[in-house]
Amino acid sequence: MRKRWMSMTLRQKLIMLFIVTSCFIVIVNLYTYASISRMLQRVEKVYTSNVSLNDLSDGLDALQTATSDYLQTKGSDAMERYYRSEQDYRDLLEMLNRRATDNEMLLTEKNIYGLSQSYLELAGEIIQAKRGRNVEKYASLYSDASELYDEIHTFIYSLNNEQFKNNSVTYRALVESLRYTEMITVIVLLLVLVGNGGLIVMSTRMITEPLKLLADTADEVAKGNFAVEQLPVRQMDEVGIVTAAFNQMVRSIRAYIEQLRITMERESQLKERELMMQSHLKDAQLKYLQAQINPHFLFNTLNAGAQLAMMEDAAKTEQFLLNVSEFFRYNVRKNNQSVTLGEEVRLVDNYVYILNVRFAGEIHFEKDVDQSLSNVEVPGMILQPLVENAVNYGIRNIEWEGRIELTVCRKDDHISISVWDNGAGMTEERIHQVLSGSIDEEAATDHSNGVGMRNVIERLNLFFHDQAKLELFSEGINKGTEVVLTIPFTGEEE
Amino acid sequence: MKKKRFAIFLLVAVFILAPVALMLYGRLLYGGTSKEIEQMTTYDRHYVMITGAEDSGLWDAVYESAKAEGEKRGIYIERFGDQLAVQYDRCQLVKMAVQASVDGIIVNSDETEEMTACIDEAVAQGIPVATVLNDCSGSMRQCFVGTNNYHIGQEYGKQIRQALRNMKKKGMKKVLVLTENNSGDTSGNLILLGIRETLEREIKVTHEVSVDAVPIDNSDSFGAEEYIRDVFLDAEQIPDILVCLSGVYTQCAYQAAVDYNKVGMVQLLGYYDSEQILDALAKNILTVTITPDTQQMGQLSVEALDEYRQTGYTNGYTAVDVQLITASDAKERLARIEQEQGL
Repeated sequence: MRKRWMSMTLRQKLIMLFIVTSCFIVIVNLYTYASISRMLQRVEKVYTSNVSLNDLSDGLDALQTATSDYLQTKGSDAMERYYRSEQDYRDLLEMLNRRATDNEMLLTEKNIYGLSQSYLELAGEIIQAKRGRNVEKYASLYSDASELYDEIHTFIYSLNNEQFKNNSVTYRALVESLRYTEMITVIVLLLVLVGNGGLIVMSTRMITEPLKLLADTADEVAKGNFAVEQLPVRQMDEVGIVTAAFNQMVRSIRAYIEQLRITMERESQLKERELMMQSHLKDAQLKYLQAQINPHFLFNTLNAGAQLAMMEDAAKTEQFLLNVSEFFRYNVRKNNQSVTLGEEVRLVDNYVYILNVRFAGEIHFEKDVDQSLSNVEVPGMILQPLVENAVNYGIRNIEWEGRIELTVCRKDDHISISVWDNGAGMTEERIHQVLSGSIDEEAATDHSNGVGMRNVIERLNLFFHDQAKLELFSEGINKGTEVVLTIPFTGEEE
Repeated sequence: MKKKRFAIFLLVAVFILAPVALMLYGRLLYGGTSKEIEQMTTYDRHYVMITGAEDSGLWDAVYESAKAEGEKRGIYIERFGDQLAVQYDRCQLVKMAVQASVDGIIVNSDETEEMTACIDEAVAQGIPVATVLNDCSGSMRQCFVGTNNYHIGQEYGKQIRQALRNMKKKGMKKVLVLTENNSGDTSGNLILLGIRETLEREIKVTHEVSVDAVPIDNSDSFGAEEYIRDVFLDAEQIPDILVCLSGVYTQCAYQAAVDYNKVGMVQLLGYYDSEQILDALAKNILTVTITPDTQQMGQLSVEALDEYRQTGYTNGYTAVDVQLITASDAKERLARIEQEQGL
């Protein structure tokens, strides 16, 4: 039964619920109808005994009338009526009790039967006497018969009375029980009403409970919580099927997310490895460079040269050698550490001084630096490569006087560092190539100190968490170039 | 889950069991009416007892005893004519019983010719007849069950003599005997004879005592009461000793004695032993009462008829014992009755 209910569809369940409750109400109504009709039948039956006694009385009257009519007229009509009524009366007598019993009414019936038999006999004799024209006899017999007729009537009347009394008692009892039936019916109807209500509430709950659970859980999932429990599937109706599908869906989504997470993890691991490879390579490159030049030897040598120049009073040579020494020391020391903006600017000064010595003052360098920003931390070796680029690609091979301007200023919550030259300039395409890093790094390495534009961009991005910006502006070939570096101002002022 | 199952169980119980229980209960409640007919007992034979309307207390007792005896023998005894809307006289009732073809008749008879004819007719139709208490000696009745009226007279005589001895009054003493006036009925005469003979024998001086008998007409149902009141009202007529030869007269007499404040002045000798009569005895309103044994009367009449049916003959006369009840006896009996009722 339970299994059957579980495997029913929603529609079947609702139909069955409806049928069961309807059946209950129909059965109760039928019972009520049947009991009322039974009571009515009994009420009807109560007075039938009186009715049949009245029939008996009428039969006796008819027989008496027929007898007297015959005596008066001796007509064949009366004769026929006599025989008919006699037969009728005999038939009526058949329903009377003939046994001796302690029931007074039945005993009276027996007496009526006996008296009636005597009466019939007497009537027969009267008719015979009339036929024989024995006037005296039939007159005397008729008188006896009339007396007997009266007596029988008395008996019937008395019995009728008794029965009526008895029937009235029965009738009263019946009316009482009718009232009782009424009460029972109301109680039963109320009970069925309550029961039906209970059944409907329970069944509806049984049907809608999983639906509600499903809705709640779906809502939870919609909010992004995939860690919901699997919903129980007890019934295989539509809701059960949807619930099972929902469970499957949640499981699949969870599995998919997990797979995605694993894939991403693997990818980031790969990237990490690649980065480490690159950094190792750089390390190796640096170590190679460091291995080529022993910095201490170089500094000592340059310092010794500076001392020599001082002793020989060659002040310019001494200045040059000090600058060169400072430049290389910075290059070795600060290459991979954060430095201040002031140190960077000083390095650019050193670099431009050396170049001007090398190229006999060809480079006209101007700087406009906001001194309050000298202590701002930046990654090392970012300004020198830009100036080196401006020299190498900007003003090296030009016919006119080369100029380079360095500007460091604050703009709102940013610091803008600009390196401008009036050199060879760039096409839009070239600018795009430089910024996207598509120019071969190796090729650039040959001509520079090893730190290209691309390197600067990447280190700035790493240092400022992608908040630094490097822009290239050029109005075209031979129209100069401006590199603008914008970094966030973190508030470390002097 | 368990809670849910319990709820379902409760629901089913309310749903199905309650209506079923109510239906059954309802059937139990109104199923019992008008079933009396099915509970009746049937008998082999049907006797009737015809007693007339007077002295119903005595005859009720006789009927109950006869009925009980009949039940033992498979006979139902009907109190014939009792339930009828019209009151027929005993003679007519005998006739009707014959026409109704009963199996036997027990009748409180009289000596009239009419009754004789009726009884003879019944016997001619093969229906045995027993007369009770009052005989119809001229008829062909099978048996008479009754008291010896001469013997009753003697008893009354002895009691009258006793009462006379206790009396302080000098001179003529009046004794009035109230008899039932059934024409040709000898019972009253026999009793009277018994009284007179006993008094003559015992006292010897009869001229100091006058014994008068007043037959009261029974045809008028309320005549007796009026006559008895007249007796008490007439100072000239008022007797010293009043003998009542029926239960009804006894009751009327003591009621009148109380009403007219004559208790003690008139010695009342009663008949029959109904509770009221016993009560009057206990209160010394009545001097003494004489009663036939009603139990015996009913039982013996049925026995006699049954004997006749079985053997074809029976005793023509069966005597019933007579009991004399005094005040102390009455108290005893009343106590017993009270005890029985209390139980």
